[in-house]
Amino acid sequence: MERGKTLFWLIPFLVFIVALPPVTGSVTLREGIFLILMYVTLASSLNVIMGYTGYVSFGHIVFYGIGGYISFYLMLRDGMHLIPAMILGGIGAALAAFALGEAVLRLRGAFFAIATIGVNEAVKALVNNLNFIGGAEGLFFNFSVYKAYGGAARAIWFSYYTMAAVTLITVVASYLIKMSKFGLGLRAIREDEDAAIILGVNAKRYKSLAYAASAFFPGMAGAVFFFKAGNIEPHDAFHLIKSIEMIFMVMLGGYGNVAGAFTGALVYERLKGFLLVNPLFKNLHMAISGVVLLLIVLFMPQGIIGFIREKSKKLRGVLE
Amino acid sequence: MKKFGALLVGLAFLLVGLMPSAGFSAKKGIVIGFTMSQTGKFNSESKEQFQGLKLWAEQVNAKGGIYVKAIGKRLPVVFKYYDDESSKDRVQQLYVRLINSDKADFLISPYSSGLTASAAIIAEQYGKVMMAAGAASDSIFNKGYTHVFQIYTPASRYLTDAMDILSKVDPKAKKIAIVYENSKFAKAVCTSAKEYAEEKGFNVVLFEAYDSGTTDFTSFISKIKATNPDAIIGGGHFADGETFAKQLFEQRVKVKLVSLLVAPAVPEFAELGKAALYVTGPSQWEPLARFRKEAAGSKGWYGPSSQEFIKAYKKAYGYVPGYHGAGGYVAGLVLQKAIEDAGSIKADLVKRALERMAITTFYGRIKFDTGKYYGRQIGHSMVYLQWQEKGGKMVKEVVWPLEAKSADLVYPFSKKY
Repeated sequence: MERGKTLFWLIPFLVFIVALPPVTGSVTLREGIFLILMYVTLASSLNVIMGYTGYVSFGHIVFYGIGGYISFYLMLRDGMHLIPAMILGGIGAALAAFALGEAVLRLRGAFFAIATIGVNEAVKALVNNLNFIGGAEGLFFNFSVYKAYGGAARAIWFSYYTMAAVTLITVVASYLIKMSKFGLGLRAIREDEDAAIILGVNAKRYKSLAYAASAFFPGMAGAVFFFKAGNIEPHDAFHLIKSIEMIFMVMLGGYGNVAGAFTGALVYERLKGFLLVNPLFKNLHMAISGVVLLLIVLFMPQGIIGFIREKSKKLRGVLE
Repeated sequence: MKKFGALLVGLAFLLVGLMPSAGFSAKKGIVIGFTMSQTGKFNSESKEQFQGLKLWAEQVNAKGGIYVKAIGKRLPVVFKYYDDESSKDRVQQLYVRLINSDKADFLISPYSSGLTASAAIIAEQYGKVMMAAGAASDSIFNKGYTHVFQIYTPASRYLTDAMDILSKVDPKAKKIAIVYENSKFAKAVCTSAKEYAEEKGFNVVLFEAYDSGTTDFTSFISKIKATNPDAIIGGGHFADGETFAKQLFEQRVKVKLVSLLVAPAVPEFAELGKAALYVTGPSQWEPLARFRKEAAGSKGWYGPSSQEFIKAYKKAYGYVPGYHGAGGYVAGLVLQKAIEDAGSIKADLVKRALERMAITTFYGRIKFDTGKYYGRQIGHSMVYLQWQEKGGKMVKEVVWPLEAKSADLVYPFSKKY
């Protein structure tokens, strides 16, 4: 198969998934797919800085929290509609990443990873102490907020479609970034940053832009998620475990690969969702998913998609 | 190409797992759905609460279930529950599942106010009654929910009873100093306490916050001495409350009542020895609290006595329950009473029964707000405990409310010097 055909199956597949709940009319299904979509968004955007550029952002969830807080505050205080609030949340997260990037992207390897954890914890501590955004208690919607969207039931469907749109844009954007000259520059940085600089790649600018891009989409995902949840607290918005889960999804599917981040998120969510509600495993889900994930990492270090790419030359073109 | 097809099929299979399991036969029992935090930071509180709830269900089912008048027979209680990992991510997903796939008739909230608010949106959307156990915040009860009912005394009333105690034992004591930790919870509690005190004609002579982790209270104690109050209330968490009590003792501060959050309720507080003596503090419930059937009188007693509950809990789990265990049990008990009163398991009838409810249980009174803060607990009040000396040993005694006391309040506090 030719190169550059990844999106030809990925987009229809995504649309197919999104269409399942409205077609079957199942809200239980919708809730599961909402989470899959959110995880795909988070993993695909983390992939830009981590997979393409080689900078492992350990505290990446901070941008999800920042986007969530900005949009939640705007919706609560000014009664802003979800869509503009979400876009502003995304922009806020991207700007924060750009500014932070100027400082932390000077660090490499483990130092960068540790610095990003520090950023997440620092922002969490700050938010905990800012009373105008609710401090440690967080912010809560009044239930009547959902009236503007035709009631809570419709608001949740609306947030589902919004998340689907965000996911679609994220997947396409992460593909376009990878295939562009910009993406080539990022991958050059990943392989050897000093060599890339000598070859004329503006590494500093490229890294900051990649960091901002990888923060924009989680910011929007945070906005949609907390709109649906109806409240936001520092503990949930800047949840370090979720940050680790994001890294895990990228590793599971395949580092630096668009289809990989997608598959990793899908498999991870399904595995966890299955174990969590299965009567046999529900008390052991953490232990079992830990073992399964360990096995995958041990025997398929390049991830699921990386593994398939290695085994089949034909499929390489459609699994970018 | 074949392999690619296989990949797509594989991905599609993963999705099949999402399909809700179909088929549900006739009503065999009352399904109560909830998530608990089996993992994550709320693990220990949530587990204790679950044990209480489970004990209730076992006792109910041993009698054949809850009597539902509309169908003329007893229906056993069936639990459906999942782990929410103390995180908001899956709370809504799991509650949607509980309602749609597991056909839950009633819901119990997750632990903590934040998770409860997320679950409340789903409960509200489907018109399901949800008992909020483990959510002590006031802020989720003026958000327009009409199906969420709180079991715990909300934060705004944690310290207000200290003023009632003072008015009762010493109507002349009017000067109050409030010194509290600068944390969200302590601040919310103490701000409400101040408003209440002023409303009741007290004079708040000092209202100051100290930073979390403060170890030297000298400057606060000087201010307290300068204003010469009758009572000191406040505190925050265990460590700062303990230090504060210790330094009050070292400086021989002469006041009539000291009431602090959290610290006095913890058994280790006794290690302070004489500094702990006569310090009081609020608690949701204490095993020593003796709410009695006779005293409840016209207010209507419901459920087991305190001794019966403690005995059953100890038999099942091997130790005396704290307030989380009692709260879980009472969440079930209140729901049971509402179903019996309504004579039906229809959500709107049960909701109306809850609105009308005014009962006393071993845990205290239960009554719900039906005004602006719909569903907030207004019947239950904190019990106050005091550290007293018995035979050379420090013991915790319940001194308030009077109908539940295990000993008389020792007053004034300065008697210990």
